[in-house]
Amino acid sequence: MQTITKLYALSKRNVILRYKNSIIGFFWGFIKPLLYLLIFIVVFSSQFSSTKNYVLYATSGLIGWFFFSNVTAQSIAAIVNSAGLIKSVKLPVILFPFSELMSELFNFLLTIFVFLIVMYWFGITYSIQLFALIPAALLFAAFSLGVILCLSALNVFFRDIGILWNTLLPALFYLTPIAYPEKLIPEKFKLVITINPIYQFIRCFRTILYESSLPAREIWVQCGVLSGASLIVGLLVFNRLKNQFISTI
Amino acid sequence: MKDLITQRKNPFSHKAILKDVSLQLHEGECLGILGRNGSGKSTLLRTMAGIIKPHIGQVKVNASIAPILAIGAGLELELTGYENISLLLSLYGHSRTPEDIERIQAFSELSDTVLRMPVKTYSAGMTARLAFSISLANDCDILIIDEVLAVGDQGFQKKCMHKIFEIKNFGKSIIFVSHFPDEVLKICNTAVLLEDGKIVRKGTAEEICKLYQNLF
Repeated sequence: MQTITKLYALSKRNVILRYKNSIIGFFWGFIKPLLYLLIFIVVFSSQFSSTKNYVLYATSGLIGWFFFSNVTAQSIAAIVNSAGLIKSVKLPVILFPFSELMSELFNFLLTIFVFLIVMYWFGITYSIQLFALIPAALLFAAFSLGVILCLSALNVFFRDIGILWNTLLPALFYLTPIAYPEKLIPEKFKLVITINPIYQFIRCFRTILYESSLPAREIWVQCGVLSGASLIVGLLVFNRLKNQFISTI
Repeated sequence: MKDLITQRKNPFSHKAILKDVSLQLHEGECLGILGRNGSGKSTLLRTMAGIIKPHIGQVKVNASIAPILAIGAGLELELTGYENISLLLSLYGHSRTPEDIERIQAFSELSDTVLRMPVKTYSAGMTARLAFSISLANDCDILIIDEVLAVGDQGFQKKCMHKIFEIKNFGKSIIFVSHFPDEVLKICNTAVLLEDGKIVRKGTAEEICKLYQNLF
């Protein structure tokens, strides 16, 4: 119970800090993907006119992508930036990256709510299937948690991790079929998307939002295995390194 | 009651900060820690507070320890005074009733306008006032103070000393780090002298303070 209060206090701090001195504050959460969408429409929609309802296709991918890219970019410095607190208050250090996930989930909740309304004009079918977004989001969150545990812990010792990750993110974005239809990928490069874990989650979101059907059991299993593996690796790395944080930050 | 045998190593730098440190703090005892800069005082405090886990050895604590009181410890510079009070109280596991916040404000003597400003705009003295007031809101058995008294103005220093004596007379333990032997003499019964992560000498406050002054 105490831990939940602490987690809540830290998450609240993250939300306040992120939008401090910003005029439109948390609205950035959905304006960012909206701006990307606008660029996509201008640049790509005539190219991919064969894709049925391209706007909805792109949106369904963008929502998931922005959750992942925001949460990882924000969390990399979770431990380094909270050095003062970590050094003076006895707290489980894992609360710091975890609280970043919680505040981003809160952001995601607002974003998806707004987008569910906006997508009416993009031609979304409202049905009971949309509730499948909840387990899909939770699985994606678990996967992201594993990633941010690794990144934030390693970033304490090598600040290069943060720089490298921010350079890799755009590459990962283009390696994932978000703006373009997956049919576009030539057969010999198909491997790129089969081994891309982000794509599995994006596909899960897309099935629900774009095809308005429930993801096949095979997709759920893949997402579940990826989340579990990522969490285990993340926890192992984090626990291995956490005792050395204080002497390094 | 506290028993401490600690030895810490960082596998990344292979540097042990504290070596063969062993000491006991009894209930109601006020222990002073003296030593040069970089002799391991803060690390020792963090180890005792349970923030750092010793690599070898153990720390046994049979009481509740207040969070470490250090200049600006844990204050988030971008947040306002009130936001910091609320955040730190939650993280300490303390209640956050309006009375708690009022008590902190009253002790810090910072005005409502000041507490609505981000802490980054505070002077060093104001920051120390806020940090000290928040930490004192805790009702713990052991108070850890890390060189905080040097920054506040005379009025606040007096007030803090007064508060510390009050806590001491209440029968609570205090661990006090300072570079001013006079303060240590006033507050502490016993003291230790740290040098290069080792306890050079344990003894009464008078004895250790004299030893410390002879260092320079």
